[in-house]
Amino acid sequence: MGIVFTRMFSSLFGNQEARILVLGLDNAGKTTILYRLQMGKWCPLFQAIGFNVETVQYNNIKFQVWDLGGQTSIRPYWRCYFPNTQAIIYVVDSSDTDRLVTAKDEFHAILEEEELKGAVVLIFANKQDLPGALDDAAVTEALELHKIKNRQWSIFKTSALKGEGIFEGLDWLSNTLKSGGG
Amino acid sequence: MSGHDSKYFSTTKKGEIPELKDELNSQYKDKKRDAVKKVIAAMTVGKDVSSLFTDVVNCMQTENLELKKLVYLYLINYAKSQPDLAILAVNTFVKDSQDPNPLIRALAVRTMGCIRVDKITEYLCDPLQRCLKDDDPYVRKTAAICVAKLYDINAELVEDRGFLDTLKDLISDNNPMVVANAVAALAEIQENSARPIFEITSQTLSKLLTALNECTEWGQVFILDALSRYKAADAREAENIVERVTPRLQHANCAVVLSAVKMILQQMELITSTDVVRNLCKKMAPPLVTLLSAEPEIQYVALRNINLIVQRRPTILAHEIKVFFCKYNDPIYVKMEKLEIMIKLASDRNIDQVLLEFKEYATEVDVDFVRKAVRAIGRCAIKLERAAERCISVLLELIKIKVNYVVQEAIIVIKDIFRRYPNTYESIIATLCESLDTLDEPEAKASMIWIIGEYAERIDNADELLESFLESFPEEPAMVQLQLLTATVKLFLKKPTEGPQQMIQVVLNNATVETDNPDLRDRAYIYWRLLSTDPEAAKDVVLAEKPVISDDSNQLDPSLLDELLANIATLSSVYHKPPEAFVTRVKTTVQRSEDEEYADVGETGYSDSTGRAIDSSGTTTTSSVTAATKQPAPAPTPPAPAAAVPDLLGDLIGLDNAIVPVDEPTTATGPPLPVLLPASTGQGLQISAQLTRRDGQIFYDMSFENNAQIPLDGFMIQFNKNAFGLTAGGPLQVPQLQPGTSARVLLPMVLFQNISPGPPNSLLQVAVKNNQQPVWYFSDKISLLVLFTEDGRMERTNFLETWKSLPDSNEVVKDLPSVVVNSVEATLDRLAASNMFFIAKRRHANQEVLYLSAKIPRGIPVLIELTAVIGIAGVKCAIKTPNAEMAPLFFESVEALLRG
Repeated sequence: MGIVFTRMFSSLFGNQEARILVLGLDNAGKTTILYRLQMGKWCPLFQAIGFNVETVQYNNIKFQVWDLGGQTSIRPYWRCYFPNTQAIIYVVDSSDTDRLVTAKDEFHAILEEEELKGAVVLIFANKQDLPGALDDAAVTEALELHKIKNRQWSIFKTSALKGEGIFEGLDWLSNTLKSGGG
Repeated sequence: MSGHDSKYFSTTKKGEIPELKDELNSQYKDKKRDAVKKVIAAMTVGKDVSSLFTDVVNCMQTENLELKKLVYLYLINYAKSQPDLAILAVNTFVKDSQDPNPLIRALAVRTMGCIRVDKITEYLCDPLQRCLKDDDPYVRKTAAICVAKLYDINAELVEDRGFLDTLKDLISDNNPMVVANAVAALAEIQENSARPIFEITSQTLSKLLTALNECTEWGQVFILDALSRYKAADAREAENIVERVTPRLQHANCAVVLSAVKMILQQMELITSTDVVRNLCKKMAPPLVTLLSAEPEIQYVALRNINLIVQRRPTILAHEIKVFFCKYNDPIYVKMEKLEIMIKLASDRNIDQVLLEFKEYATEVDVDFVRKAVRAIGRCAIKLERAAERCISVLLELIKIKVNYVVQEAIIVIKDIFRRYPNTYESIIATLCESLDTLDEPEAKASMIWIIGEYAERIDNADELLESFLESFPEEPAMVQLQLLTATVKLFLKKPTEGPQQMIQVVLNNATVETDNPDLRDRAYIYWRLLSTDPEAAKDVVLAEKPVISDDSNQLDPSLLDELLANIATLSSVYHKPPEAFVTRVKTTVQRSEDEEYADVGETGYSDSTGRAIDSSGTTTTSSVTAATKQPAPAPTPPAPAAAVPDLLGDLIGLDNAIVPVDEPTTATGPPLPVLLPASTGQGLQISAQLTRRDGQIFYDMSFENNAQIPLDGFMIQFNKNAFGLTAGGPLQVPQLQPGTSARVLLPMVLFQNISPGPPNSLLQVAVKNNQQPVWYFSDKISLLVLFTEDGRMERTNFLETWKSLPDSNEVVKDLPSVVVNSVEATLDRLAASNMFFIAKRRHANQEVLYLSAKIPRGIPVLIELTAVIGIAGVKCAIKTPNAEMAPLFFESVEALLRG
């Protein structure tokens, strides 16, 4: 049984890697999440100006994860990375309520993109460890996720600092991709 | 058949760039690597692959060192052309500068220094800071050099971040390679800075001396160069330093040897003990001699340097003159230099040997070399009194060979010998006179004529000899004419007989009436007056005793020699010119405060602010801008030149502003201007012009090109009434234009002089005339941009209040469909350059909304709102201003600006 499945996956993905973009405003925790995924632990990081790319093996799928800087100056260049993307992880700083509107605007602007039409969307309501962080329902509301049509999406409460929720999200992502969602 | 031809327009071929793009985004690593190699190959053969920037940069984070190096190479090449996108690379640099592999850390820091993009420099400071303190010496030394590169990009940043101190700490590094590179970086920074940055102290001195023995040869050169600038405290210290450095004289690398020689020469100035100096001189001779056994090119460099050294310390090579004897197969440039040094080293002791050599050279085939050899004999005669007679006998022997150029050269030097030893060797004049007919070179002729005039009383047929020259007087070069004039006067004063009297008439007539050479004419008049007023006084003046000369040709001025000696082993010592004579620094360090001060002056009264700013900044650019703006503030009505002209022009275009005459030539440079009057319309005169704003002042930047057959002069300009009352604020200064030449001028303009009634429009009608052609009319457009003043920046609150206070009827909106905003920052920069100042920005859905303010003269605010989607054509432009009828002009100008 297991062998059959492995074959099926390899026929789906071959030696290819699933290309995933990690997007979000600056200081949302994108890079921290990336290194959580890659090394399984938290490490002190500098602000990412530009991009990071790492390969993560999870659930028999190789993810090529692109973490793009979230500064206003860099956001216009996100579009350079859109082609051939299977999934987007959109990271929101749940405690930064002031900028949720900006986060929403950017998010919906991304969804409009032609090149990302088929991409699965995973939202991380990050920084749950901080006091005053909104929960997933509130973030869903703030980001107007219910407006998403014709696309598979899911939201998870995460704390990149503590490592909570991230792998649950990745489980969902790998399952969705395996089932052909990507 | 028809109807199926559309297939020819669709092709499956995508072209090279899209193909490369696909390959770069491939998921297969080897395909990606090959694609990057293809891109680099295309880049090196000069194809523009800059459009692949992001795709290449995306390959940057890789384990593959080869691939990384290629991407870095690409970045160095194209970061400048994609400054906005270069920021995408920052994170990778930061990461790589912490890579466990020191090679990658060093590679990252080196590449960072090569990317000269302002926007990303500040992000690179932290990695640089880290790398300066890296555990690996190779990374530290690379970082040290990077500081010097960064200083060139942004000196202030380097100073603020304390990199200079870190760099100075590296001089005490335990690795000699790091020390050498830190020294090199500091020396480089010092050259670009006006204030002292790198000064060696007694502590650093010992570090440098220790590192000197351990580092590479090129590192040694850097350290030696730095040491040569060190001022030792006393003779003792100087002796100690020199002692530590002398072993470098034996180095195989000639650069090290020369740098060591330079350093020792500098320190020797302080050493008082003659024994020590003599010893050092002895030690320096062999390495210098060794340099002369290298390739001819290196010999040449060595000889140029030795030339300087022997001028300061002849003793070093006093006994080595034989190595400077020319070999038959030496290239000519080496021979010439060797001759020069032989003259310098010639002494009573070796003169016989030297003369034999010179005599030999004088019979060779290369004419220039032969001449120089003959001249060298003369110079030795002048230099060495005791050998003069021997030198002269050699010269006489050479004259007897009767080779034309040898004879002429000999006469030239003999003239100098007569000046040096008066009343000693005049017996040879008879021999010289025999060769009179063969002289055909001006200098030789002039010399011979001088000799005849000077010794006229001893030469029986002096008048005949001079007369033979007089026949061709008008055709002779100025040099010969002057000598003939003087010689004839001398002859007349010495032998006032009939013959010379006639001659003097002819000469004076020729030299006054029939010449247009002012020197000759003036000298002739002085003689004429002297002779006609008081012949005795004339005698005192013309036949006065001359001071004895000495051989100072090819001797450098002592202060220049000092400077050149300090620059031994550089291009300066090869050229024998101070570095600033042939190297121009791109950046000059100007005191910022001073600049601002003058900018403030510029705000209040524009009259000559630019002129002063240029003068005060100490740069040598005394461009015409100075001339143009140095004019006093525009007089309301400049004086009218000729009555007829204002009538002609003034009536034609209905202006009472007077026309201003042309006097001084004014030129300006800059990008090409739009042609307003083509040569076909202007009977060969082409006028290009554009309004520009510089330093708070409006100028009409004009270019005149004369394609007509005749010279044009007397240019004047006049402006018709226009919406802003723009008119000339000073005279139009165009020099006389010869056919085929052109001139560019900056005409200062003033506002609100003659405002045309009615709604504002951008029309600017101009009339230009000159003395040769009819009046030319052409029209230009007034861009509102040149009117925006420098004080147009508004506070946010002020902006909001003004916006609210203006009625909605004052808001005008226009779509500019052809304008594309690709980057908000670039757009803002462009607007700011035209004095439209950024107030705020917001995002509305996918649109960027920008708010800006500007001010037109008389304090009228213009509030601007621009709405655009990045990268998509079409900008909505709304403005609100008390002067709403200005809006069409505004849109016109902004559209041109954003599209251009």
